[in-house]
Amino acid sequence: MGFFKRLIVDGAYFLNTSDAYQQKRRFFYNLLENENYRFRKYFDLFMIMLIFISVAVLVRGVKYEVDDSLLFFNNIVISIIFLIEYLLRLWVSSSVTDVIIKQSEYDSMLNKEFNLLKAFLKITRIKLKYITSFRAIIDLLAILPFFHELRLLRIFILFRVFKLFRYARSFQTFISVLATKKFEFITLLMFSSIVIFVSTVLIYIVEANDEGSSITTLYEAFYWSIVTISTVGYGDLSPVTDLGRFVAMVVITAGIAVLAFTTSLVVSAFTEKLNEIRDTKTIEDISKLKKFYIICGYENVAKEVAKKLSLSGANIIVLDEDESRTENAKKDGFKALNYNPGSVESYKNLHIDMSKQVKAILCLRESDVENVYTALTVRSINKDIFILSILINDVHKNKLSFAGVNEILYTQELVGIVAKEFVGQPVAFEAIHALRSEYSNIDIEEIFIDTRMSNNFTFVSELYNERYRIILLGIYKKATQKFLFNPIESTIIEQGDYLLVIGNSVFIKEFERYLHKKIRK
Amino acid sequence: MMDSKKTSALIFGRNDYSLKIVQNIVHKYPDVHIFELDEDMIEKSDELYEVNSFDLSDDWEDFKSTYDMQKSIAFCVLENDAKNIFLTISLRASFSDLTIIALSKNKESANKLTMAGANKVIPLVQTTADIIVEMLNKPIITDVLHNILYETSDLKIAQIKVENHSYFDGKYPSDVEWSKKHGVIVLSIMHEDMSTEFIYSSKAKHHAIKNGDIFIVVGYAKDIEEFEKLIGSRCDVDWSHRSR
Repeated sequence: MGFFKRLIVDGAYFLNTSDAYQQKRRFFYNLLENENYRFRKYFDLFMIMLIFISVAVLVRGVKYEVDDSLLFFNNIVISIIFLIEYLLRLWVSSSVTDVIIKQSEYDSMLNKEFNLLKAFLKITRIKLKYITSFRAIIDLLAILPFFHELRLLRIFILFRVFKLFRYARSFQTFISVLATKKFEFITLLMFSSIVIFVSTVLIYIVEANDEGSSITTLYEAFYWSIVTISTVGYGDLSPVTDLGRFVAMVVITAGIAVLAFTTSLVVSAFTEKLNEIRDTKTIEDISKLKKFYIICGYENVAKEVAKKLSLSGANIIVLDEDESRTENAKKDGFKALNYNPGSVESYKNLHIDMSKQVKAILCLRESDVENVYTALTVRSINKDIFILSILINDVHKNKLSFAGVNEILYTQELVGIVAKEFVGQPVAFEAIHALRSEYSNIDIEEIFIDTRMSNNFTFVSELYNERYRIILLGIYKKATQKFLFNPIESTIIEQGDYLLVIGNSVFIKEFERYLHKKIRK
Repeated sequence: MMDSKKTSALIFGRNDYSLKIVQNIVHKYPDVHIFELDEDMIEKSDELYEVNSFDLSDDWEDFKSTYDMQKSIAFCVLENDAKNIFLTISLRASFSDLTIIALSKNKESANKLTMAGANKVIPLVQTTADIIVEMLNKPIITDVLHNILYETSDLKIAQIKVENHSYFDGKYPSDVEWSKKHGVIVLSIMHEDMSTEFIYSSKAKHHAIKNGDIFIVVGYAKDIEEFEKLIGSRCDVDWSHRSR
């Protein structure tokens, strides 16, 4: 027995530390349960397609003969796919190895022998918990048509339709929105149940013995009550006695109230949840973006920065805890969330990989306190991300740098420097600014030297930038992290360097194309 | 036309902006005067510079007698945009030749300030946003240009006027090998008619170098000095006509 236990514990440790096993488990977990996983939607679409095929075969089979191969596909293939899915879900719902390891560690800590039975019971309990969950039951019922010999079980194909709820996320949103009004719906249900119960009994008592009445059984009375309270009123059954008609009037009045109340409940639930639903959609969109900037706070400078960055083709996310400012950002066409940029929770809710997806965090609130707070929060999550912040009051500069801000911009200082240049060398200043301004067709650009370029160009003299009417202002050397102004012809060009060029933007593009295309002979 | 005659700076508004401006221009305008609308602020001030009071009543006669407006440059840096525009327009109405540099909070008031007669407007929000975006999109360029413009590195930018055009012997700007021969890079040329042309533009290509042309060059201080000796002299240019 000791050997058997040992085998189980060793096996659990092996699987728990095996990269291949964990990788596979993670893959299936993502595919089945992780809403933000890239391939999840293709899986969902595939399953939805199978469900529709099932239903189509069922409907066709009502009046016509269905081809045997189609029946085989419907009853066997689809059922097996569903069975595999069911088993996979059961597998990823909880970790068996974790339970065994925990139990073994617990027992060894107390100097006891590993209790296999206890571990087994625990595993059974957590797996049973999953099996008895509503979703898992639906999944199981959807597999049952496999036993198609039992004609009654054919109806279980309809359970496959219920499975749709699993794959179509809008259904889940719908249910979750309605769930917020659970109490109201229960009250309403109780009210209508009582009305239906009382009216069923009353109409049966007053009508059942009347010869001219069509309502003769309790079931008919119940059917009539439901038809009437829902304000459908087919008219196939109707009361004939005065008392019966009085009951009808009461039920109709109650029916209108129930209907109006239900409608308003659904509408109000959606209105209340609308922003949340929109936010969920925005977050989904964000998690799909490859690279973006996060702008914290949407005030004057932030507005301009967002506008200019998006013009240059960058993706932007705006976070602001003020609702009206968030709305402004949305109106201006940006992805904005009414989240506090100074809270760790906000970044968690975004479901993003900060080091991979975020280019930089821009703290652009017009309050140093808020910017310091945001910078500290971001730094506590990620140590390497680039943070830029504006500074409103000079005395807080050291606080911002202490909070880990990489670049601090002090507007007052900028104005001073700009003024200095204006009074000093106005034309030179204008010349440089014209180069940087978006209206001028003369541009200044950074050209990144990739491996291909560095293979085909060794020295600066081989660039021939003059032919393209381009000024080579200098080279930024990656190795030394220094800018070489006006490099001599024998300067070596290496991968990772940047060329800084000035010229007509069209010519710069042409020059860049030439650098990419040229092949050393 | 030459700006070099101006010696005093009149700064309207006492705030963080005006203090930074004073710090940065005092080397060129030793004679700095700060004016403030709010009497309370004047009492509070304890800076090196005396803060005088002024009002917007349009009576500039006192100013005329106290300060030489011909030799002054004015900075309108009041925090209130409406008052700043009013100040600019009344200064322009009284002194048609005064160089006025004004600060604006946004693009809208920047346009109004230009209409009111400011020679140069610094739109705060735009300037900050421009710098942020450039820093993010072109970090190396921003860094290099910042060092050149704000003189934190050995690289300098200068305006050099041609006084010795025989040196070029009727050559066109794009034919001269500036960087190899002189170690400087010529960005653009300003002709006598005050139009600025990028060195490789087709117009500059067909314009022989002659006396009075101004080159805008980037280079190390030593190289610029030598280049200067060779062809002419460093100059300041009055650009009051440019923005109006």
